[in-house]
Amino acid sequence: MTLFHKKWAVSLLTAGLLAGLTQPGQAQSPSAKTALPATEDDYYKMVTLPVPEGVVLEVGGLAVLPNNKLAVSTRRGDVYLIDNPYMDNYRTPYFRKFASGLHEILGLAYKDGSLYMAQRGELTKLTDRDGDGRADRYETVYAWPISAHYHEYSFGPILMPDGSMFVTGNVAFGDQEWWRGESRVPWRGWTMRITPDGKMEPWATGMRSPCGIGLVDGQFFYADNQGDWMGSGFIMPVNKGDFTGHPAGLRWTNRPESPVKLTDRELYAKVDPRFSPPDGPLVKPENIESERGKALFEVAKEIPAVKTPAVWLPHSVLGISTSEIVTNNTGGTFGPFFEGQLFVGDQGQSKIDRVFLEKVNGTWQGAAFPFREGFMSGVLRMAWGRDGSMFVGQTNRGWGSTGKAPFGLQRLVWSGRTPFEMKTIRAMPDGFEVEFTQPVDKKTAEDPASYELTGFIYKYHPVYGSPIIDDKNCAVKGIAVSPDGMKVRLVVDGLREKYVHEVKIDGVRNQSGQPLLHNAGYYTLNVIPEGRKLAASEFKAVTVNPHAGHTGMKMNETVSPDGPAGATAKAGTTPAAKGKPATGAKPAALAKRTTVQPASWTNGPDQVITIGTQPGLKFDQTKVTVKAGSKIKWTFANNDDMPHNCVIVQPGTALEVGDQAIKMGLKGMNQGYIPNSAKILYHTKLNGPGAADTIYLVAPDKPGQYTYVCTVPGHASLMQGTLEVVP
Amino acid sequence: MSTIASSLSRAAHLGKLCGVGLMVVQTAFGQSPQPAASALPLSDLSAFRKTDKNWRIAGDVSADLNQNNVLNTGKGTGILVNLPDKKANANLMTNVEHGDADLELDYMMAKGSNSGIYLQGRYEVQLFDSWGVKNPRTVDNGSIYERWDESRPEGQKGYEGHPARMNASRAPGLWQHLKISFQAPRFNAAGQKTSNARMLLVELNGVPIHENVELTGPTRGALFNDEKPTGPLMIQGDHGPVAFRNVVIKNFDKPRPQLNNLQYAYYTGKYNRQPDLNSLPPEAKGPTDALTVGLSRSQNEFVLRFTGDLNLAESGEYQFQMATPGGFGTMLVDGKPVLNWREWGQEGKATLAGGRHPVEIIYSKITDWARPGLGLLIAGPGVRPTELHQLGSMPLGSPTNPILMSRVGEPTVHRSFLTIQGRKLPHAVSVGDPSGIHYSMDLENGSIAQVWKGDFMDVTPMWEDRGNGMALPMGSVMVMAAGPTVAPLADANAAWPPMLTTPEENDTKKYRFRGYDLDAAGRPTFRYEVNGVAIEDQIRPDGEGKFLTRELRVAGAPAGMYVRLAAGTDIAPVSEGLFVVDGKYYVRTAAKPTIRNAASGKELVMPVGGTVQYEIMW
Repeated sequence: MTLFHKKWAVSLLTAGLLAGLTQPGQAQSPSAKTALPATEDDYYKMVTLPVPEGVVLEVGGLAVLPNNKLAVSTRRGDVYLIDNPYMDNYRTPYFRKFASGLHEILGLAYKDGSLYMAQRGELTKLTDRDGDGRADRYETVYAWPISAHYHEYSFGPILMPDGSMFVTGNVAFGDQEWWRGESRVPWRGWTMRITPDGKMEPWATGMRSPCGIGLVDGQFFYADNQGDWMGSGFIMPVNKGDFTGHPAGLRWTNRPESPVKLTDRELYAKVDPRFSPPDGPLVKPENIESERGKALFEVAKEIPAVKTPAVWLPHSVLGISTSEIVTNNTGGTFGPFFEGQLFVGDQGQSKIDRVFLEKVNGTWQGAAFPFREGFMSGVLRMAWGRDGSMFVGQTNRGWGSTGKAPFGLQRLVWSGRTPFEMKTIRAMPDGFEVEFTQPVDKKTAEDPASYELTGFIYKYHPVYGSPIIDDKNCAVKGIAVSPDGMKVRLVVDGLREKYVHEVKIDGVRNQSGQPLLHNAGYYTLNVIPEGRKLAASEFKAVTVNPHAGHTGMKMNETVSPDGPAGATAKAGTTPAAKGKPATGAKPAALAKRTTVQPASWTNGPDQVITIGTQPGLKFDQTKVTVKAGSKIKWTFANNDDMPHNCVIVQPGTALEVGDQAIKMGLKGMNQGYIPNSAKILYHTKLNGPGAADTIYLVAPDKPGQYTYVCTVPGHASLMQGTLEVVP
Repeated sequence: MSTIASSLSRAAHLGKLCGVGLMVVQTAFGQSPQPAASALPLSDLSAFRKTDKNWRIAGDVSADLNQNNVLNTGKGTGILVNLPDKKANANLMTNVEHGDADLELDYMMAKGSNSGIYLQGRYEVQLFDSWGVKNPRTVDNGSIYERWDESRPEGQKGYEGHPARMNASRAPGLWQHLKISFQAPRFNAAGQKTSNARMLLVELNGVPIHENVELTGPTRGALFNDEKPTGPLMIQGDHGPVAFRNVVIKNFDKPRPQLNNLQYAYYTGKYNRQPDLNSLPPEAKGPTDALTVGLSRSQNEFVLRFTGDLNLAESGEYQFQMATPGGFGTMLVDGKPVLNWREWGQEGKATLAGGRHPVEIIYSKITDWARPGLGLLIAGPGVRPTELHQLGSMPLGSPTNPILMSRVGEPTVHRSFLTIQGRKLPHAVSVGDPSGIHYSMDLENGSIAQVWKGDFMDVTPMWEDRGNGMALPMGSVMVMAAGPTVAPLADANAAWPPMLTTPEENDTKKYRFRGYDLDAAGRPTFRYEVNGVAIEDQIRPDGEGKFLTRELRVAGAPAGMYVRLAAGTDIAPVSEGLFVVDGKYYVRTAAKPTIRNAASGKELVMPVGGTVQYEIMW
């Protein structure tokens, strides 16, 4: 008899979470007016598996084994077999170390009694031959070249239907041009196909950080991360001979065994790689705002080997570091409404997105939606349990994440209830068709104000990431709600092939009056399908576009201009007088971002502060003390390898402002993630890696503990410091 | 950027300037400045006081692994040997006396032997045959011997001995390297002791075994019962045979240089080029009692200028190191630049007479993201590297908690990148044993890359933050020759190939690593193929921390394939089946390898076939 008080209480709590398991398809709560707003947790419960102290479970791979065990491989080089990961009978999972001593395992697959995993320099097969529960044969299926650069992670394998295994490898970075991904040895930045008997063929290249790899209907897909040449994360099918965007791996295409024939020279003829001059100073490429540049699809038009994503995952909105792709073939046990769809993990924002894929004219495309956030650490791996629940393996060492735990293993369980969501968005010859999980309320569904569509794309350039470009509102010209209320067809103007289209549906309600749980989907419209367009009689015409003229580039009113000293600020801040002589009285209030020292500061600033960064989403100083009302020269120098800003906010408001920055959505990056908020006192611009920004400010009059925070989505919870204002 | 920052902070974690607490965070200094050293001449015994016949000079020396207290000598000079017997067994004292000093020497023990080095004839570092000892005691090799008080109760007469941090010893008949940084006791004008003698740092075979150990008084068996500012070096002669060579003493007996009459001036502005400060009005100026960056008013875009006197006790060559993180610095002595206008940090030297020298030090801070700091280090004749800046003027790095696999409770296999003598090994494995004897394999050619004893590995560089994938052996490391162990040769005289296939080639027909199997105890047997010939490679510790046995099982008897048991500058036979390589380790085998010449010196080679077994002992 092992159920005693404490264990029972804890288990009861867990069981309580599972108690939401009602019959599938149960009616929604009756009174929407008094009901609390729906949350993701209502539909998908998060269970945290207890991990024994001393086990550093930085999950690199997950594999569900036939005997109800869960195998976990870790970045510390261990493989654990977990008994009862489902915590049946309220019992704690049991960890057994199966193997150890491997070098940063980042994948796991089970096949015919053995476990396969990619470590830094090889694909390894582990077998327990003597049956003692621990691996005794560590077999090197294939060892690939590696230069021992820290960034050369290797991921996989994915087991393909023909028995072969796919592995992908990260690029390294330059010693001098530290921002530029490079392939130091063959086949870094490549996908490799390896047969069980250990033969390797290089398959495709263009990969930069190919952590997410998966199988969709027998097709190998991979996901990449924002970085140099990569405007945003995405998922893409990969076939033999493809080039997926990052030029590093093109170095090896002159080898006879390379199926990719494109050379880097040919690519650089289309897009300037902006190398630093051989004898000159090192210059990191930055975004040239005045130049439109080229989008990846435009280069792909000129070079057939260049492929474009199936689905873009708009940066900072749907994630910042794509990590895993899994397909929901759980037969309805993870929610029948999402059967067959993909789930894509994000490490940096500790969340999972959902992707609906379709094929139009043989081309993969589809829509990405937010799905579940709030995981304890960085989401790296996902795997389906025997009951259709999803194991989520996590780690954030080295990069930080919204969830602050350094590692973890959680399980996502469908509660049995149906959320009100966009189930799918399909491309139509004249627009889109949105299918919902529940019937919509006709009135709100027919109201054009309920919908806002924006098309945009990213630049393809050697710069780290990209702002959105060519963003334009797409006018909804007609709406047709299906008789059963489950589908809404939108006739839309201004759609562009290869562009991402944000389909924001704020206004539609279900028949209980609830809004959508997630109000936006992002459709990558690679191909507009042929076929019959709706006749005018089939839809309700829309004559006025309530969102006409809106673009993602709309400037917030309270974002301050960088102007000369004493420039008049926009509404909401007090202008500083131009040329007023210093009187020794309180200095004039400044705009939120003033980049030139005010002329009135004839003795210069009272204090000069420089803040830098540390790896793992940290400022290098977490406390700064200033005198109330004093003149400060504040420099934020970003010596990290991802973008950051520095925003000074009212006491206790850092997370609130961080949330507002996330809600800026697509506009966010272009506006430096500075929301329109009275809680913001001052802010720097968004600094790319290695960039710095200096602003001039006057410390608040009121003493207190203010905060400076980075509001890049996913960073705010970790990246803070205290600005102590003393009298 | 983050990766540069993390690798620099790692450099700080791993290396300090020897003997000085100057934590290098923002720059990487090279070797600390070295004052002139004086080697003890060993062509005869003239460096020593008259002693007994047990002491002599030789040109060659070796030990017998099977017999206690046997050292065999060969004619020549350069090696100081002690062969005591019942009649002659006196100690040996140097003529010179020393106070603060660094002592560096090689020594060789006979089997079962026992000796000691007494700094100032008073403070003993034990020399002992501690081959295979797991946990060193105060009597073991490198330990600081205990003090003795006859009046104490039985069993407690010995006290304040300091065992070596770990056993970094070598086998008898192999040369061991000892480095001692010693600070003599200090006395006031009345002759009272004001501070104790100290072993600042003692390193045995490259491993720090003592740091900052205070010695309250002479250890047991010292020449004197009292303590003085100087004393001769003494070597114990009455216990057992021992040999020495390359004995070098560096004295630090001169008063430290000082900066006096300092004035400072502070300017604002961003100056990449050296400004003419005489035409610039300073924002602040005045006298200061210390060279410190703390006099600046802001974090960036300023210039600090110091003028004053550098007072030197001695004439001679002085070495300087300057750290100017995030900016440029220069130093002029007697109006002439000794350290030029350079960014971040630099070294320089000047020959200066004893006495007062006007000095000017300038720091121009320009890089906004770097923390300001100003450090100045001087070393010279009779002077340890001395910080001339005030404590706090150089930023101290934030410490990282080490992640260590020190003692392993069971055989432990650990894959990582390795860096060995500057060479990166991207496919490597290290195997740790509870008995404290460990090795690393280069999996790109099936060779043993390094062996060591002591603690297993420091894995901080690979598991802290993003890491760089590297693991570091802890303990006393012996690097083996790079290159494959088994290789095809056109004939018995063909040069040994440096590698079987290049990383870019990755030709699996020439070499292919197949993995390893673990036995019941968890020990690996490696499997690989050379030219398609399957090889099983098993390395096992002897269980006593003394040697590794390597067994290579080669499938079939392929023609034209050879195995290289060792390579070095010199390989000499010691006895039947026993060879010594560079005086650093033994190879023992029942097989019959040949010593042949090679570009780098000598190789121990034989044709392969069936099973080859040999032992690496050190």
